[in-house]
Amino acid sequence: MSTPEPLMQIMGLRVEVRGVPILRGVDMEFERGKVYAVLGPNASGKSTLAKTVMGLPEYEVKGGDILFEGDSILDKSITERARMGIAYAFQTPPTIPGVTLEEFICRICPEYLCRTSEDYLMAEQCTCRKELYDDFDRLGIGNLAGRDLNDGFSGGEMKRSELFQVLSMRPKIMFLDEPDSGLDYDSLKIVGRELRAIREEKSTTMVVISHHRYILEFLEVDKVYILQNGRVVYTGDMSVIPELEEKGYERFLAETAATT
Amino acid sequence: MADSDDIKERARRALDRPSVFGDDLDLSEYRVEETEERRLDVKELTDEDRMLLEEVGFDVGQRSVAGSFMQFDNESVLADVMIKQEGLEVLPTRRALEKYDWLEDYLWRAVPVDADKYTALSELHGYDGYFIRAEEGAKIEMPVQTCLVIKKGRSIQNVHNIVIAEQGAELHIVTGCATPSHVERALHLGISEFYVKRDARLTFTMVHKWNEAVDVRPRTGVMVDTNGVYVSSYAILSPVKSLQTYPKVHLVGRNARADLYTVVYGTGTSKYDVGGLLSLEARGTRGKVISRTIATDQSQIIARGELQGRVNGVRARLECNGLLLSDSAGIRAVPILDASAEGVELSHEATVGKVGADQLNYLMSRGLTEDEATSLIVRGFMHLKAPDLPPRLQKAIDDAVRMTLEKGL
Repeated sequence: MSTPEPLMQIMGLRVEVRGVPILRGVDMEFERGKVYAVLGPNASGKSTLAKTVMGLPEYEVKGGDILFEGDSILDKSITERARMGIAYAFQTPPTIPGVTLEEFICRICPEYLCRTSEDYLMAEQCTCRKELYDDFDRLGIGNLAGRDLNDGFSGGEMKRSELFQVLSMRPKIMFLDEPDSGLDYDSLKIVGRELRAIREEKSTTMVVISHHRYILEFLEVDKVYILQNGRVVYTGDMSVIPELEEKGYERFLAETAATT
Repeated sequence: MADSDDIKERARRALDRPSVFGDDLDLSEYRVEETEERRLDVKELTDEDRMLLEEVGFDVGQRSVAGSFMQFDNESVLADVMIKQEGLEVLPTRRALEKYDWLEDYLWRAVPVDADKYTALSELHGYDGYFIRAEEGAKIEMPVQTCLVIKKGRSIQNVHNIVIAEQGAELHIVTGCATPSHVERALHLGISEFYVKRDARLTFTMVHKWNEAVDVRPRTGVMVDTNGVYVSSYAILSPVKSLQTYPKVHLVGRNARADLYTVVYGTGTSKYDVGGLLSLEARGTRGKVISRTIATDQSQIIARGELQGRVNGVRARLECNGLLLSDSAGIRAVPILDASAEGVELSHEATVGKVGADQLNYLMSRGLTEDEATSLIVRGFMHLKAPDLPPRLQKAIDDAVRMTLEKGL
């Protein structure tokens, strides 16, 4: 039986930020409908990986390739990548003054249809208020609807707002940058439940960057990658998590040191 | 009170006095025409006039306004209370001065006649304009609309407006100034003196549409008495040759409040020198001066703001935010905080810059193109919410901004 073609392949990826090498030859594969965890100590390159996949200009690809559905996306703009089905939930998104969360969602999410209107950017009112509010309430962010995007949102509110946005885009693959940081238990439960539902639909590949066991176990992660100093130092299953909790990244640090 | 000879003499002495701010205009280049009052039925307006009026939000059908005033060049053509509204009076200024002796006491009190050559010229040549008064306790819920139109080239439109919200009254004025695109070279001189008495509220909303050949020199002074509230929202979204305005609001009664909002969308080679001064002269007074300016093409914008705290226990905030959308445009923010008493609390925030790359990338990662993302950021930036403004007037500004961005972006 032939192995299905991965949705995304990262091959020998080398990335610099303002001349400083961050990723030093990363190889990863992400299959359709599966859930991946990218772990690693601080500054190991996890967020850089996600932002490079999204095409943020600060992240300069110096070597290697990123294939999406078999084709390189390195020459694609951020917009093109987003429209191809790649999404990234920012860890610290910028504030957009004067644009409310409600208005923004209505204008970016095909699911809510407003975008079908020719002048959707200027539309006075969306046509999907009821559905939108139901979904806001499900994620517990109804109170943010009329507020300016990311303006004064708490850490937890920001995470849920980001998650709401990327889920609404119905992407083929989404990179979630620490979706569980700053969340209280109730928020964690809400986020976990949403991600779990997506996992069960198997329609979206999830790449979760996290430092915490709870969300990864709840999602029943299929594969774990550990990044250290810009390289993949572990590819395997969740059995590595207890060791990480007990000893941290000690072993991987030692291995990296030995090979560099 | 100074008599009229004294006022004239002061004006004569100031005829060569340039304004502190803005380009110094050579007034000999303009023709000063005497004013005349001519009544005209709205039905006589041409289609072109109607379109122009509608562009600045003037409701020609007068369906949902308490009163209307319209002036073409120096002829006032319509000044009337169209809907029976007890306690409201709308008249051409000259007629009001003939009708009420006491009105002389309000002339040149909030704006000094010798402030500069523009105030001086206004006094020395015949003017008209509007007089609007809400009587004591009158709550005029629907807005009074005014419109000042310049149609004659090389001329000066000379307007002197007086607005009085008597004790406990509530009054909302929405005003649109406009010039057809074919008018060559003109000057709008607009003297506005507003008096907000004890416990009264006055909102003043302006949407202006001049053209590239018009110089604009409004001179506005406002006196706000005890517990009075004054809210001004000023949007200029079209090109202009030059605009220089610096309204001064004096909070003279305890707990008086004033909020000044300005939105400028600079285009072409227009020069804008805008802002406002808030003088907090009595205990418990407070206010805000907030501007959002966007400079495109080769436009140049100076956004000023000044807060003067003169007594203990006053509080005010100043925000000047500018967004540059062209390498050939310029924005200069000039915030001034001036305290001369203990316990004065004044603060400011001033930012000028281009659209942030992090904002653009973020929006593009949600599937917007760069142009769409820029439009959304600009539109959000220009969305100024004035909490005390009636929804209809907020909508007038929002609509004007939306129409401008639809055309401009």
